Amino acid sequence: MSASRRLDALLAAGVGFVAGVPCSYLKTFFAGCAELPLSSFLPAVREDHAVAACAGAWLGGTRAAAAMQNSGLGYCLEVLTSLHLMYAVPLPMLVSDRGDPGDFEEHRILGQRTRRLLDLFEIPWAEARSGAEGDDANWLVAAAERGRRPAVLLVGKGADS
Amino acid sequence: MTRAEAVAVVLPLLADDDIVVAADGAISREAYRAHDRSRTFYMLGSMGQVASIALGLALTRMERVVALDGDGNLLMGLGGLALAGGRQPANFYHLVLDNGCYATTGGQPALSQDVDLAAVAAGAGYAWARRCFSAEHVTEAMTAWLAAPGPAFLDIEVDASNTDPAPRVPMTPEEMAARVRAALAT
Repeated sequence: MSASRRLDALLAAGVGFVAGVPCSYLKTFFAGCAELPLSSFLPAVREDHAVAACAGAWLGGTRAAAAMQNSGLGYCLEVLTSLHLMYAVPLPMLVSDRGDPGDFEEHRILGQRTRRLLDLFEIPWAEARSGAEGDDANWLVAAAERGRRPAVLLVGKGADS
Repeated sequence: MTRAEAVAVVLPLLADDDIVVAADGAISREAYRAHDRSRTFYMLGSMGQVASIALGLALTRMERVVALDGDGNLLMGLGGLALAGGRQPANFYHLVLDNGCYATTGGQPALSQDVDLAAVAAGAGYAWARRCFSAEHVTEAMTAWLAAPGPAFLDIEVDASNTDPAPRVPMTPEEMAARVRAALAT
């Protein structure tokens, strides 16, 4: 058991490697990640490197998941399209759902378009539910594996656990 | 020495179970033409991510992982160099085929003409980082690099000219990924 129920659920769903860049909406999740062995967690410097490292781990036979703020989707887009989508690499992603009313201004423009952005690239997504971490993780991993592509669990304020 | 010649020198120096990540563009095509192997991942896009893909492999595999990178490619994703240097996986070997320009797009000059990439790698924490600017010492430099403690970085200067372009790798991206994954599953 780690500090994060969401992380525990991902590990139970077969994830063996996590890479990401923190978001305050994912504070608990990243606290759990910090307890993982060095070979299982890569605190990345930017989100594109995180998802690229996940693709490397997957090539090597390890199920890998990425975690980031939704602003990081912008940095990732080239890698998600010309690596994961093009090579059919599954990638479960935990993405914070910033940009809700009351959030800071810098999250508004991308936050209002996150779902449309994912839809545009045919990346399946769902909203995380507190207390349903196991079901959320199972859906996320299955959606990525079934579609052989990225899949996103949007973690809103209060769904970090 | 051309970039293709340098690629053809390094591949026979590797062990059979080494895992190679070949940079998108000419480096992948030249690696395929010189010596195709099922443990080489041929990148087509996602420029700047050679080191990061290789790092994901190095952290989760026991074998040596060799990143065949380009100078413009590495500069685009310099954070990947920081990650490899910071995490220091001992099985991570990074080779830069440095032609000082963006050859694929018409030879526009790259910042590598002014930035010492080996010094950047050493500063980032690579256990061993060197440059080689002399064609007659390339084999020697590559041998020393592969024998050095990892993570190890070698920046090889190659000619910008490319008179014999290699054809595209005749596999679909899905086939390329599936082949590497299958080779690593055995």
